[in-house]
Amino acid sequence: MPHERLHCLVITPERTVVDERADFIALPLYDGELGVLPGRAPLVGRLGFGELRLRRGEEWRYYYVDGGFVQIKHDTVTLLTARAIPANELDARSLEAELAQAPPPAVTTEARQRQQAQRERQRAMLRIARKLTA
Amino acid sequence: MPKLRHLVLRRKAVQNIRKITRTMELIATARFKRALDRAVEAEAYTRKIAELAADLSSAALPASSGAAPAALRHPLLEKREPVRSSLLLVICSNRGLCGGYNTNILRVASDRMQHYQQAGIQLHLELSGKRAIAYFRYHGIPSEAQYTHFEDKPRFEEVEVLANRYLEGYLGRRFDQVEVAYMKFLSASRQTPVVETLLPLSTIAPPLRRTTQPGQVSPATTTTLPSRADLVPVEYEFLPDPRSILEELLPMSLKVRLFKCFLDAAVSEQIARRIAMKQATDNATEMIRLITRQYNRARQANITKEILEVISGAEALK
Repeated sequence: MPHERLHCLVITPERTVVDERADFIALPLYDGELGVLPGRAPLVGRLGFGELRLRRGEEWRYYYVDGGFVQIKHDTVTLLTARAIPANELDARSLEAELAQAPPPAVTTEARQRQQAQRERQRAMLRIARKLTA
Repeated sequence: MPKLRHLVLRRKAVQNIRKITRTMELIATARFKRALDRAVEAEAYTRKIAELAADLSSAALPASSGAAPAALRHPLLEKREPVRSSLLLVICSNRGLCGGYNTNILRVASDRMQHYQQAGIQLHLELSGKRAIAYFRYHGIPSEAQYTHFEDKPRFEEVEVLANRYLEGYLGRRFDQVEVAYMKFLSASRQTPVVETLLPLSTIAPPLRRTTQPGQVSPATTTTLPSRADLVPVEYEFLPDPRSILEELLPMSLKVRLFKCFLDAAVSEQIARRIAMKQATDNATEMIRLITRQYNRARQANITKEILEVISGAEALK
């Protein structure tokens, strides 16, 4: 099915960020990356944080998505996420600066975990931001 | 002619006020449209979550059909009896000049608090908007948190912070229920002040707009799943498994619900302000008409008086 295309929707609670066609989509699941081509079997999954890639023809698009859910049904890929940021809106320099700073000491284990998760997220954002500039 | 000048000044003052209220009406109209657009855009997420919840619950609980979500056990869904302490979030506006908007919300909130007092429920009060803060300060009722940063464009990230705190407090048994008092948006011509129960969640999926019935206290009980005639059960592959995704879905559902409350409040506030300002403009127009009439009458009376004086003077000379 070379002419079939995926329909990609990225929806945040505030608005629909992406609504377009794509030939290939790579999205971050909770335990790793998932590539989707047209004709994929229906799926519901938990998203992790990381990079969302869309390929349309030869053109690639990158987004950062932050957790949520994905539903694939009839070649429609719907991502429900709290945040979705286009890669060109990520600022590598400010992210680097933030990461370079020593984090404030965490008192409880819980706070520590949260802090680490936050830093992991920032690193993921930075990776995407760097990719674009490279 | 001091009376005449007095009338002219008064008319000028009213004209100025009308200019201001008309401008405010226009601003409120523009803001209302934007707020409504945001609310409509946010609807897509709610609809999708509801669809997902329906798919998931039918997959996670295949044994019970129909009211499947009820069978799911999750701390966020469990009703606690008796309710010993409750958190009440009151969402008002930061600014006034919006008619009965704040008064109506504060009325239902106060009613609710009275109900708590009678039932012996400990109250944790949280306030959003300067109007609410001023009201409760005046009445000497202490509140635990106050927010003034929610304007006509509430952002999800800001709301999420509150939702996370509520989740933590609820699961940590600091309070047994969470309620929100706000102005619910039903349609452009209809909004009602309500107290809604946010936690425990009554359903998995957040209710959709325009499907809930208006009422004083409407616990969000209506499970409104997208009615799709062409809904063919799809065999999904689940990663990791339906149940854990569903459990992940619940906190998200709560956040969206709270976010919707703030969006509704923003839209309703702008509508209330628009109506209030429209009335003020109309009143000013009416007043200008009255003053103009008075002015014309007074002027005519003066002229008549002068003519009479001239005539009587001429008569006297004869």
